[in-house]
Amino acid sequence: MERSAQQRFDYVVVGASHAGIEALRAIRAHDGDGSVAVLDREVRLPVSPTVLPYVVSGKRGEDGIALRERRWFDELRVDYRQQARVTAVDSAKASLSLGDGVEIGYGKLLLATGATPAVPPIDGLAAVRYHVLRTLDDALALRDAGRSAGRAVVLGAGLVGMHAAENLARVGARVTIVEMRDQVLPGYFDATAAARIEAVFRRHGVEILTGRRIEQVVARGDASAVALDGGELRDAGLLLVAAGVRPDVAYLAGSGIAVGRGVVVDAFMRTTVPNVWAAGDVVQTASFFGDTTPAGGILPDAVEQGRTAGMSMAGDPAVTAYPGGVPLNTYGFFGRRALSVGRDAPADAGPDWEVLVRGGTGSEDYLKIVLREGRLQGVFGVDVLFDPGIMWELILRRVELGARAAALLENPEDAGRVLMSGLWR
Amino acid sequence: MSEVVDGTASAADAVAAKKEPKILVCDGNEAAAWGVVLARPDMVAVYPITPQSSLAEYVAQFVADGVLDAELVEAEGEHSVLSVLHGAALVGARTYTASCGQGLAFMFEPYFRTPNLRLPIVMSIVNRDGITPQCVWGGQQDAMTVREVGWIQLFCETVQEVLDTVVMAYRIAEDRSVMLPVNVNHDGNYLSNGVVRIELPDQAEVDDFLGTPDVNWHVALDPERPMGVDPLTGGATGPGPALFVGYRRGHCEGMQNALRAIVEIHEEWARRFGRRYAPLVEEYRLDDADCALVTIGSMAGAAKDAVDAAREAGVPVGLIRIKTLRPFPLDAMVAALDKARAVGVVDRAVSYGWNSGPVHQETLAALHYCQRRIPCLSLIGGLAGADLTQAHFARAIAETVKLLDAPCPRTPVWLNAED
Amino acid sequence: MSATPTIAFDAARCDGCGECMKACQVAKSDDGRPAQSRIRIVRDDETGSWGIAQCRQCGDPRCASVCPAAALAKGGDGVVAWDAGRCVNCLICTAGCTYGGIAFSAAEGHVVKCDQCAGAPQCVAACRRGALRYVTAAKLYNRWGELEDLFVPGLGGCQGCNTELIMRHALRRIGPNTVLATPPGCIPGMGSVGYNGMLGCKVPVFHPLLTNTASMLTGIRRQFKRKGRDVTALALAGDGGAGDVGFQSLSGAAERGEQILFVCVDNEGYMNTGAQRSGSTTYGAWTATTPIGEAARGKTQEAKNLPLLMMWHGCEYVATASTAFMEDFYAKLEAALDASGRGFAYLHLYSPCTSGWRFPSAANVEVARKAVETNFAVLWEYRRSHGLRLSRDIDEPAPVVDYLKLLGKFGHLDAAQVAHIQAHVDRQAQVLRELARAGCGADAVG
Repeated sequence: MERSAQQRFDYVVVGASHAGIEALRAIRAHDGDGSVAVLDREVRLPVSPTVLPYVVSGKRGEDGIALRERRWFDELRVDYRQQARVTAVDSAKASLSLGDGVEIGYGKLLLATGATPAVPPIDGLAAVRYHVLRTLDDALALRDAGRSAGRAVVLGAGLVGMHAAENLARVGARVTIVEMRDQVLPGYFDATAAARIEAVFRRHGVEILTGRRIEQVVARGDASAVALDGGELRDAGLLLVAAGVRPDVAYLAGSGIAVGRGVVVDAFMRTTVPNVWAAGDVVQTASFFGDTTPAGGILPDAVEQGRTAGMSMAGDPAVTAYPGGVPLNTYGFFGRRALSVGRDAPADAGPDWEVLVRGGTGSEDYLKIVLREGRLQGVFGVDVLFDPGIMWELILRRVELGARAAALLENPEDAGRVLMSGLWR
Repeated sequence: MSEVVDGTASAADAVAAKKEPKILVCDGNEAAAWGVVLARPDMVAVYPITPQSSLAEYVAQFVADGVLDAELVEAEGEHSVLSVLHGAALVGARTYTASCGQGLAFMFEPYFRTPNLRLPIVMSIVNRDGITPQCVWGGQQDAMTVREVGWIQLFCETVQEVLDTVVMAYRIAEDRSVMLPVNVNHDGNYLSNGVVRIELPDQAEVDDFLGTPDVNWHVALDPERPMGVDPLTGGATGPGPALFVGYRRGHCEGMQNALRAIVEIHEEWARRFGRRYAPLVEEYRLDDADCALVTIGSMAGAAKDAVDAAREAGVPVGLIRIKTLRPFPLDAMVAALDKARAVGVVDRAVSYGWNSGPVHQETLAALHYCQRRIPCLSLIGGLAGADLTQAHFARAIAETVKLLDAPCPRTPVWLNAED
Repeated sequence: MSATPTIAFDAARCDGCGECMKACQVAKSDDGRPAQSRIRIVRDDETGSWGIAQCRQCGDPRCASVCPAAALAKGGDGVVAWDAGRCVNCLICTAGCTYGGIAFSAAEGHVVKCDQCAGAPQCVAACRRGALRYVTAAKLYNRWGELEDLFVPGLGGCQGCNTELIMRHALRRIGPNTVLATPPGCIPGMGSVGYNGMLGCKVPVFHPLLTNTASMLTGIRRQFKRKGRDVTALALAGDGGAGDVGFQSLSGAAERGEQILFVCVDNEGYMNTGAQRSGSTTYGAWTATTPIGEAARGKTQEAKNLPLLMMWHGCEYVATASTAFMEDFYAKLEAALDASGRGFAYLHLYSPCTSGWRFPSAANVEVARKAVETNFAVLWEYRRSHGLRLSRDIDEPAPVVDYLKLLGKFGHLDAAQVAHIQAHVDRQAQVLRELARAGCGADAVG
């Protein structure tokens, strides 16, 4: 292929994970003719980070886990390019530079480059071998290391850390989880739910240290050891850093595109520069609740953003404003399930807040419903089933539950479905 | 309340027990209501107005008692009353209503359309004078004002004739050569409230006389016979103008056919029920008369007494009573007028622009076809419920007799001007 | 896009017998392994009605969009298929579905969803009341498309008029066992009754007077009932014939509870006669009789709220609808038709007029949508038994200027007039919100 001349596409999507793929669909739904290119830095077909724990556990191999096969791109008539890493964006010239010197012009550009693992500044960490879990290569390496690790330390009790810890435990490793904050899965579950989850992990031999920090990492041959803030040491035949992610924005330096905690976008996912959109983990996601509720890093949110961006790029008149992120989690652990949608009441909640709880002690199921001015804010359950999609919609619609809140607490699945049937079915 | 139909509970018995002609003592409004019972309409819609209100109440009570098996629609005004009947008739219902005066005025929009839709609706007008001045009493200004709308207009003299004519009106309206709505007029106060003895015809005989309703064979709203009722018709080009003329001409022909139907139906009524009414124009002591009074409605009773008195005094006077005003009975009227040398027309309404009465104008038009020139005086009386007594008609006769020797005044004689 | 089959649910026919769930459970429990029903019938204890949670086989399935393992995909047969071999059991699909159509089965240890039993859905076979139907309806209008169009082709509406859409779709659903009244206005004006002997419609149809539509239908419906025939008495009327000169007969028939389906197509004025002001014309609007000049800036009064007036008559059913929300319109048409067998049903359609309101003929549905999204036209429904309910969230409307700026008839508005309209729209929304909150109507009116 002739590469000296600049190539130009009506639409260029950078990144082929959830946001990028959904944007492609939305673009093609409205514009069947415009030329489209997808630039993916990976060598392999796109794989969702969400399936990686199942690779680590060995439940899934390398094959049959791609988010989309190549023919999907072909059917959409999209020029799908792998190993195409964007190194710079020139918004004045409406062009991108790839690492190999190739320039690509765009009519409309979507940045969906996601995020990369955050590595905390811990003394000695840079000098040892440690794992992260973001790509399929990461997962394969972790899987292979886990089988012979003996002792493993997981830094961070977020979703990635918890999933990995469980899977390492399942392959026989003795696992210690170290979490800075005083519970596991902060932001998704309250202390009661977290305690319930922690208990299950402990029953499976996982050591959980919450409210603790790693002060130092020291090398011990091929392995390492971590020194905790209380002074004690833990051997780490395997060290996994799962301390969250950071938007992958380094290539935007000098582009003029504003970046805060991520790329700054409006409700239609437009960046501060004309003809450039951004979606998914790369953006600074606004909270639906308009407060400091953590937003971002939620798979369905990334899909919503991708769709909004794609429709907006293609000029689809049916596009509606992205309502903002709602924390959402469907968490399976040791055959149990915890579901979380929305936000918890703040510590200083006023009288307009109402929190309904059942169970949670001993072996009882746990369910918590949070309301503000009678409107659903959050639903959290451990070993209680309901339809997270319905709860999400109830929150987005700001439905006043009134007397139905009690029914929701009693049987959230059926009560939610009744509300759905009456409101939008 | 009559002596026979005493209380609502006995109303059913009055009909059920009927073998021989039943005797009722009642007023004209109740008589009209019994006519409705006998005609068995499918639907009655009413809105109360003085002096019609008791008629509406009688009908409602008859429905409540089960004497009359009809849908009763207590509509929110006369406009809707007639509109409801339009809908029902288009589905094949035999229908009835009654109104007068301002009610008729408010009803005018659908009233205007009823004959053009060729719907055989029967409606009593309990004649009432028009406002203003504010007035709730009898007079024929209401019916006279709507002469050109295209309804058949019948005017009754007696309470018995009210009952009989209401029944006959359905035969006339539903005659397939006619298919037009009928107004049965009876004077407010005189007939609506005057109580007399009447006969109630036998239901089975009336059923046989009327037959089953035959209302919407020609125009219908029915999914089993889908059609567009009243599409836009006319315009300057295409088939429209001729279509429109066809509808108008057909309506005129229906009116003329009604003259024959009215005569035949009155004759059949006389054969079956023994009561004979002049169907179009009644002639009273006219054959050897020099002068004639022309009357319409209930006033004919007092007028006939005055004629009798004048005859006894040697004045050769006779009387013409118009029963059918629309269609105008031209031949019958000309034949009657030809027997007189001078005519005085007594109206209970005003034709403002002609400075005379409406029936006077109608008579003048008929006189054009007479063999000789006959002077014709307009007399106006009985407005707003005023009495028209034998004395008033004696004066009318005297004024008419003057025409034999003196020029005919072009201004009306106002009979109640000094009362 | 070719039509694919789907399972349709008619709540009005459901009595909650549960046979569908049993049949599903049996069908999915092959080899004796216990299974969870893929269809769930739920009872709304407040309204006594039945609801359903079952996969709708969405055209654009969100469960598949959010699946990280590509285990869900819409197939050529229309079914959203679940691939056990790819599923990692993360349950994120259950967050993507807002209908409860895919859910975790504890009995089976993974998510389950309806697969339509390979073209022979057992739930449908088990339903004795016809509440579940297996129909081909991949596209929104499919079901309507299969019904006969009862108007002639080539009605003479203005370019971009949505009234023809309303008429055709309404009559398709209501069907031929109908008598249709179209009082003078755009609807007969475009030829629905006919012209010089040529007819515009396959059902019995007539011009009532502008003033007496509901009264004529009273006589029609009652006489058919007297004859033992259930014929729908339908009006397709404009706002003037319904709310101004025709209001007396409308009000009377509603008060008497006549069994009539009265559809008012509200284009906010006398558009057929050249865009004059009516009682439904809104504040500030230009019309031919509220012109703009040195001394005048459009209509100086608010529109009367006709549907609310009808609600206070205690009708069997009253609803507002918009052609920008066709599914909602269809549902309300269905409910109104049903209610008209018991009493007076009134359906009020906000219907933008391309020629009289001065906007491009391609923009009708967009204008209709903006009217709703700004709360300028609020969608709600009232059932005599349950009171008023908002059909969609009205709490975060777009500013009304987003709607006003689309329309030539508002081109002259100054800031004070826009503020006036915004305040009125807010007030009106608040009134409806409070009525809905109070469950209003049911006790107060009924």
